[in-house]
Amino acid sequence: MKIAIEELAGCSGCTIAVLDLHEVILDILNEAEIVYSPVIMDVKEPPDEIDIAFVTGAVRNEENMERLKNIRKKAKTLVALGTCACYGGISGLSMLSSNEEIFNTVYRGVDTVKEDGVIPTDVPPFTYRAFAVGDLVKMDYYITGCPPKEQYLKQIIPALLKGDIAELSRKSVCSECDRKMGSVEGWHLKRRYEGKPDREHCLLGQGYLCLGPVTFGRCNAACPKNNIPCHGCNGPSLDILREPCRDLYNMMVRRISDLTDRPEKEIEKELYDVSHTMYPFTIGSLIMEDKENSKIRDLVQERSR
Amino acid sequence: MKEITINPVTRIEGHAKVRINLDDNDNVESAHFQVVELRGFEKFLIGSAVEEAPRITPRICGICPTSHHIAAAKACDQIFGAEPTDTGKKLRELMMLGQFIHSHSLHFFMLASPDFLIGHDAPAEERNIVGLVKKSPDLAKKAISARKFGQRLTEALGGKPIHPTTCIPGGISNSLTEQKRAELLEMARPTLDIAREGWSVARGIMNNTDTDFGAVETAFMGIEKNGRFSVYDGDVSILSKENVKTGSFSGVEYPDYLNEYSEDWSYLKFTRLYNGEYYRVGPLARLNIAEEMGTPEADSGLDEYRETFGRFTQATLAYNPARYLEFLSCCERAVSLLADPSICGTDTRTPAEGVVNERGVGIIEAPRGTLIHDYSVDENGFITKCNLIVATCQNNYGMDRGVEDVAGKVVENGNLSESAANKIEMVIRAYDPCISCATHAIGKMPLNIEFCRNRNII
Repeated sequence: MKIAIEELAGCSGCTIAVLDLHEVILDILNEAEIVYSPVIMDVKEPPDEIDIAFVTGAVRNEENMERLKNIRKKAKTLVALGTCACYGGISGLSMLSSNEEIFNTVYRGVDTVKEDGVIPTDVPPFTYRAFAVGDLVKMDYYITGCPPKEQYLKQIIPALLKGDIAELSRKSVCSECDRKMGSVEGWHLKRRYEGKPDREHCLLGQGYLCLGPVTFGRCNAACPKNNIPCHGCNGPSLDILREPCRDLYNMMVRRISDLTDRPEKEIEKELYDVSHTMYPFTIGSLIMEDKENSKIRDLVQERSR
Repeated sequence: MKEITINPVTRIEGHAKVRINLDDNDNVESAHFQVVELRGFEKFLIGSAVEEAPRITPRICGICPTSHHIAAAKACDQIFGAEPTDTGKKLRELMMLGQFIHSHSLHFFMLASPDFLIGHDAPAEERNIVGLVKKSPDLAKKAISARKFGQRLTEALGGKPIHPTTCIPGGISNSLTEQKRAELLEMARPTLDIAREGWSVARGIMNNTDTDFGAVETAFMGIEKNGRFSVYDGDVSILSKENVKTGSFSGVEYPDYLNEYSEDWSYLKFTRLYNGEYYRVGPLARLNIAEEMGTPEADSGLDEYRETFGRFTQATLAYNPARYLEFLSCCERAVSLLADPSICGTDTRTPAEGVVNERGVGIIEAPRGTLIHDYSVDENGFITKCNLIVATCQNNYGMDRGVEDVAGKVVENGNLSESAANKIEMVIRAYDPCISCATHAIGKMPLNIEFCRNRNII
């Protein structure tokens, strides 16, 4: 069994998540051989005939694109590992500006560079937008998570190596959260620095924008359990993925409206900075952008003006 | 003109390549370290509520997300005028220690040491953690268990081992329970034993260090706290290449000391001191700057290190033993913080009311060196300007020159053997560059080495 990990535009956190299997890695190495993983070994190019390849990160430049196509050709089974590969991830936020604006800011606009700074050209050129890998080539499996969690990878990877799949929870973050609902009165949206949330009750009910209801679980609600509202880093929940008319934004608005008995229009007025608070992990995904009521198209257009 | 490429550079974090230009006699004319990715955080954070920066910027890097998380949180403390409580600071420091323990043990045992323990001339497919498992299974198991403690510590305090989320303006969102403290202390002690034992391995590598390898003379920059090694707070000091202290800063005045520039052939920016001098950051810089580690085992190790390299050293490969001493010191410090029940205090945060300052600069020592997060916000706390200066940009020049130095020594008659290419990569690896960080601007790095003749890639 030959396995490979290919890295595209990302943070290498998913490769570290594989290393975070700790001693289980040693068991995996008894079953399978890692033939290519640039972060941890010196083999320069993926060999032919890979049984399972994991691809992490999004596609942001021509070289990522070539590597993705290449690994698709060489791997019998190709797995999108992590939220960047599945939905574009945080790299997708670069869609809020044109490529030119990004380069101008980075090389000519920040406080420590000069206005006539060099914009590199002898480098792999950017693609016109960020892509999730599944929007470009056929994937066999998707493992979401930023990064995917140890407890679940320990079940998924050994199963994959046996040519099998693991049956795991497919519920939302709320299903793993231990907070109670309680009564919701005088609800208004709070910024994340405001006040101190109580540990017992639902964060959304307390006025914090917690994306638990619209986010795929398998993180044990780690953030809500630590008094931090969910940011949606595992990508959309299954009902949103399945239903063309359901989107992160409209499902959140509907959820808050149900919770507070206030009209959706009023709730929408309270929301702010939707790109960084609701879509930071999915803005690069064509699947999410193509939904009939997705806000992504507006957000991308607004910023590029 | 002929060109040789090593692509990708491997066993580093992210994606990069090396390009070597040869003249008509096949001698090395120049060589560069190239980074071929960029992601654009400095642009796409604009417009974001600043309190989201600690949740967004960890995604710059999966190896040192805690550094970005806490640097951003420190900037937020200033913007909201909420100085963290003592417990909040201790918990953040402990989280930083978890980061260092994981990152340094990952680098030392899994990325760099295969060159020294398995041999840089060994076949490429054996020079890695898998090879280490075969050759020294006991050491590999210990490396895995040390890194596991680092990640468990981060997870306990940050919610997740990778991309922690608990630091907020004014402190941290959750306290440590007595039960969790006891559990972590149970893991911390054996980890310290591993670190202590491993010093003999590191010392062996240290005593065989080629001090001229990847030679470059630079100034140094790093944080110290009253002369001690410190990862969470303190002042940034600058030492000239003659070992004279030429500057010190702690916040918004950093642009008076440094500037950045870019080159056509790399997405990675270069950082220089204001007088045009180049400088380096990270373990080598920190040990040149600090008088002492502040923990007993690491301090006695530091004495041995200084017997080998002197009080101040430019030796690039000394990065590796310096990194090891920091790993040892962080294990000691983690044990002493966890052994003190007061870390379970419940006053973990100072309330934040609203924007007090329209600019905040968070500076921290990341495993690879000084990290600066600088945010300007409007009156409602939405980011209007953002500047991120990461360690790898600051070491870019050192890596670039080191590559040229070694290339000049190992390229023979216009050819580069696989093991010679690995020697070039060893210089880069000594810096433990983090290309994900470096390309926060938008980027990636295993290494490829390119050879060019007449600008035509062969």
